[in-house]
Amino acid sequence: MEQDQDLSRRNFLKLGVAASTLAVGGTAVSGNALAKTMPSGKTKAAIPKAKGPRLVIVGGGTSGLTIAKYAKKEYPTFDVVLVEKRDMYASCFSSNLWYPGIIDLEFLADHSFLDAARNNNYIYFNATVNGLDRSARKVITNEGEIAYDFLVIAPGISYDYEKIGVKDVETMTALRQTFPGGFISTTEHVTIHRKVQEFEGGVFVQTVPSGNYRCLPGPYERSCMIASVIKKNKIKGKVLILDANPEITIKKDGFHAAFDELYKDIIQWMPSSAVTGVDVEKKIIKTEFDSIPFDDAAIYANVRGSTLIEQLGLMAPSTRSNQKEADIDIRFYNYIGDPHVYVSGDSRRHPYSKSANTSNTEGKYIAKVLAARAQGKEIAWVSPRTVCYSMVDADPMEAISVDAGYDYDPAKDLISGFSKDTKTFEDRDVAKGKATLEWARGIYRDMFDA
Amino acid sequence: MDRRGFIKICAGSAAALAMGVPRVWAEDFRDFSQALLTDTDGAPLKASTLGTEEAYIFHYPYKGVPCFLINLGKPAASMTLSGDPLSAEKGPYTWPGGVGKTSNLVSYVAICTHQLSAPNKDISYLRYAASGSELAGAPGKIVCCAHGTIFDPAKGAEHIFGPATYPLVPVRLEYNPVDDSLAATGIAGHHLIDQYFKSYKRDLIKEFGPGVYRESVGGHTIMQLLSKYSESIPAC
Repeated sequence: MEQDQDLSRRNFLKLGVAASTLAVGGTAVSGNALAKTMPSGKTKAAIPKAKGPRLVIVGGGTSGLTIAKYAKKEYPTFDVVLVEKRDMYASCFSSNLWYPGIIDLEFLADHSFLDAARNNNYIYFNATVNGLDRSARKVITNEGEIAYDFLVIAPGISYDYEKIGVKDVETMTALRQTFPGGFISTTEHVTIHRKVQEFEGGVFVQTVPSGNYRCLPGPYERSCMIASVIKKNKIKGKVLILDANPEITIKKDGFHAAFDELYKDIIQWMPSSAVTGVDVEKKIIKTEFDSIPFDDAAIYANVRGSTLIEQLGLMAPSTRSNQKEADIDIRFYNYIGDPHVYVSGDSRRHPYSKSANTSNTEGKYIAKVLAARAQGKEIAWVSPRTVCYSMVDADPMEAISVDAGYDYDPAKDLISGFSKDTKTFEDRDVAKGKATLEWARGIYRDMFDA
Repeated sequence: MDRRGFIKICAGSAAALAMGVPRVWAEDFRDFSQALLTDTDGAPLKASTLGTEEAYIFHYPYKGVPCFLINLGKPAASMTLSGDPLSAEKGPYTWPGGVGKTSNLVSYVAICTHQLSAPNKDISYLRYAASGSELAGAPGKIVCCAHGTIFDPAKGAEHIFGPATYPLVPVRLEYNPVDDSLAATGIAGHHLIDQYFKSYKRDLIKEFGPGVYRESVGGHTIMQLLSKYSESIPAC
């Protein structure tokens, strides 16, 4: 360890000398050029020396927070560090409920990384990861590098705008800022919330991408929530759902019933209508057959594994993931060939629902895998569980739900489908509406409390 | 009175040991002051008058801890269960079974061991579905609507479906055949209470007052139907 530090110092000095030489030489070297020359992580992160095997977890979403807590519980000897780029938490799950005012922003955001870390005896380190040295077992952040014995990367998803025909970076940027998808960051939710509150009529487009996108029922639930606002405020407008899929992807009977019975003239659902391009300026969205003008929109592009996965060299080849997800072992989540590096949550290459309850239950299993491996043991695979409510009416609150598990096929080493005990509850009612709120509160308690 | 109750329990434990029942029972249950279960007017409840259609709720051993009492309508035998594998109190314990004339009355701390959903005056996501439900299917189960866990109150509230990984925490009851009264005398799994107090501190202060939720219930505690206590009980 000390030797590494010495080497780092020597390298840093060498680089410093090189930089000085350039500067003294009077050559016009910009700060950016120097930044590119300088390795970003040659200082140690300001955290205490590890008191046990160090488990570094990158990403403080549902997966990362769950693993941080439960790995420490399963194996108290672990020295756990959670690296998270945000300085304030807010959940993506349940955000649809904010649009019609069922919950307030505090419901999503009144949860502290500091409390989670203190309550569960780990370190929260507010930094952005930008590099990985697997041979030296170091993860590099903008606040210095951290040596690890085990590393879990749980960075969530990124949007893949190319798959909806938006390939130039100008349009991509304009689209991301003007009509955000609203399935990643809180600032997107704030923008969509404003849009819904300010909607005075016309067509509000909600797109549904193809593939295994985050929160399969999410776009349909959001359409219902926006429609409930339109209905309540008697606005002359409608929600147009442009669905890339031929059928609603999950809880279809419950959603169709809601569309037909609650929002007959407000929600128009168009199946097999994949977006092929967007004119952001003119507010026109294109599908294979139509060019549709709209007044406002939440344009949900296809999803892919977080770009961090690609940046860190952990992306699977297209034969193993067509969504640029991580190349990990299906049962044990380690990067193929490296038992020290794991990827969890929505950057996994599994066909699991990319949702909070999946990551929460999966996280508890991964914590056991890590605890076992830190002690030289292996454990049997356990399926995550996808318990997921979708609010379909805001007043009164009525919801539908699903409770799903998954099967593993050892012969093919893949997840073969839903387990036999998977059930859907598609008759909307107030009981499930109320349970929707408690479902979220439970997950918050599980992640942030002791 | 407490000492007499304690001696009775010790005697019972010794008898159980002699009969070969696992010996962890006395270690897992923590004794608290005996609290007589009363109605809302303070009169002792008669065990033989309790219905089977829904759970009763009382608070024990602290003013902020909700517990269910359920009349199963049939006897419930003692059995061995596995507790929270991640707590300091981990390991198997012996649930003593039902009490009352026909061993038909059981009691548990009404806090879901998955993510701590618990009844309050506004709502209870946890309930005893005597006649079955959409989630539970079969009758006579305790269901938690939040994440779909099902517990079997006739078998020590063992977890039978859903994400919880261990049973509801049991409350020890004593039945007095002379006057048909019931009293709570202890609970197992105190770590869950500690966790609950930490998680719900803001809510408990609001509902019971600062520090009040942590106070002992004293010599008696009010028991009433859950539907009288919680304004809303989602029937999942």
